[in-house]
Amino acid sequence: MPHTPKLARNLAAVQTAVRDTVLGASADRLKGVVADDRLGYARRLNVYRNNTTILLREALAANFPVIHALVGEDFFANLARAFVRTHPPQSPCLFEYGDDFPGFIEDFTGARDLPYLADVARLEWAWVEAHHADDAPALNAEQLSSVLPEDYGRLIFAIHPAARVIASPYPIHAIWAMHQADADPDATVDLNQGGEAVLVTRPGAHVRVTVLGPGEDGFIHNLADGETLGDAFANAQAKADNFDAAHALTLLLTQGVLSAHALTEQT
Amino acid sequence: MANTKSIAQGLDVPIPARAGIGLKAQHYEEIAERLPTDIGWLEVHSENYFGRGGPAHNWLAALRTRYPVSLHGVGLSLGSAGALDARHLGRLAELENRIEPGQVSEHLSWSIANGDYLNDLIPLPYTEEALDTFSLHVEEMQEALKRPVLIENPSVYMRYEHSTIPETEFLLAVATRTGCGVLLDVNNVFVSAHNLAFDPIKYIDAIPGNLVGEIHLGGHFDAPVDGGVDGEVLKIDDHGSQVREEVWDLYAHAIGRIGPKPTLIEWDSDVPELDVLLSEAKRANAILDIEEREKKSGVRHAAYA
Repeated sequence: MPHTPKLARNLAAVQTAVRDTVLGASADRLKGVVADDRLGYARRLNVYRNNTTILLREALAANFPVIHALVGEDFFANLARAFVRTHPPQSPCLFEYGDDFPGFIEDFTGARDLPYLADVARLEWAWVEAHHADDAPALNAEQLSSVLPEDYGRLIFAIHPAARVIASPYPIHAIWAMHQADADPDATVDLNQGGEAVLVTRPGAHVRVTVLGPGEDGFIHNLADGETLGDAFANAQAKADNFDAAHALTLLLTQGVLSAHALTEQT
Repeated sequence: MANTKSIAQGLDVPIPARAGIGLKAQHYEEIAERLPTDIGWLEVHSENYFGRGGPAHNWLAALRTRYPVSLHGVGLSLGSAGALDARHLGRLAELENRIEPGQVSEHLSWSIANGDYLNDLIPLPYTEEALDTFSLHVEEMQEALKRPVLIENPSVYMRYEHSTIPETEFLLAVATRTGCGVLLDVNNVFVSAHNLAFDPIKYIDAIPGNLVGEIHLGGHFDAPVDGGVDGEVLKIDDHGSQVREEVWDLYAHAIGRIGPKPTLIEWDSDVPELDVLLSEAKRANAILDIEEREKKSGVRHAAYA
């Protein structure tokens, strides 16, 4: 029989042992530390393990409601338990819990038949981040009215703190939209219909989720990297034949993608 | 004019000795519209408002102009060995500045070990070492917030063999060392008393009334014990139902002994319609009213004597 060294009775050692047990290790190390009455130390410790497992599963379900709906209660419970035990929260703010969940889903053996799942989770995480991001006014067309049309090419922008872009080889917006309150109950998704890129923003109180047109995700990324509007347009047009510059500009100025503008020096 | 009055109330008055409720996102709009008078104040879980922005902040700021607000923390983990999370404390101080709460509270428990947050309020072994650690952390919290805080008694499912100090003595020792007050959770006393087989009345009577700054009332459920005998249960504190009759009785006993105190109706899982919370608040107010009248008339109910 393996010999387990006697647990030190100092606070740090006891708390580490309780943590290990709550996260799935055997309760045996705590025998004689946690009072072993008629109910038994293991059964009592199990209350804490259950509380942690269930409450963190609920926190994940709150941050990833579409993943929860897609895989169902039992699968989600397995997925969440495995995640909680290997990736317990590093912050007591549970709206921040789940940063690593999309990557975990990608590697989760049981989810291999659902290759789109991780990207849908990335979209949901972008929603959570946008929801809690800094409040900032969104740049609109009126604020650009002082810029002369011939100077548009020299515009550079600050991206709004809530804005996120998620691109996937799967139709993640269509999948996500099917699980929203206003979804058409008869809608179906063809997983082979091709990938989608999705814009997530929060110009005011409410998060907006918008599917992007061809080349628009790269266009927004380039603006975020500090490219001028002129260069970003040229690059997008070079990469995607059907990039629609007018549509992209409208998107920038109506969906809360940007928060400020400036003009680069004339060259 | 009514608005002016309630704004002034919200800003200047500390938490009144009336019923309050835990503020939940699903009730923001309805409370803002109805401004119910059955509640004299609101309490929030501090950590839910640690985000950089977003609608939750705006709702809380708006409701703060109508009601006094108490900040109730669940994540500082005052009982953890080692240093407090300075970033967490910084975020709490920032929220405190923004909200100007009437009260700030935390728990007699720990939730973090080796950086992992277990999202549960786990009891401490009541030892001299734990008393030193916990008191030091309460002092750090009070220094950061520049105010005394309230510390809540936990709901407990286990005790440690090496505990040497009864829980009430531990709590009072922390209060003596740090100047903090007590948040007396009557449901927690009831739940722990059942689970660890002690007398809840004795526990409540051991807490001096002048230390109690707030009372919590919430629901719990009975979990059948695997392989237990005679329908044996552990009582689990989940704030997911109405306050039990036995807990109301214990509350009336506590109020009778220590006088009216701000009383929170806590409901955190399976959150019901606002009206359900308001009817619980009314019931607490009715008990507070009896005590208020008796305090004024100098007559004490025989049951409280």
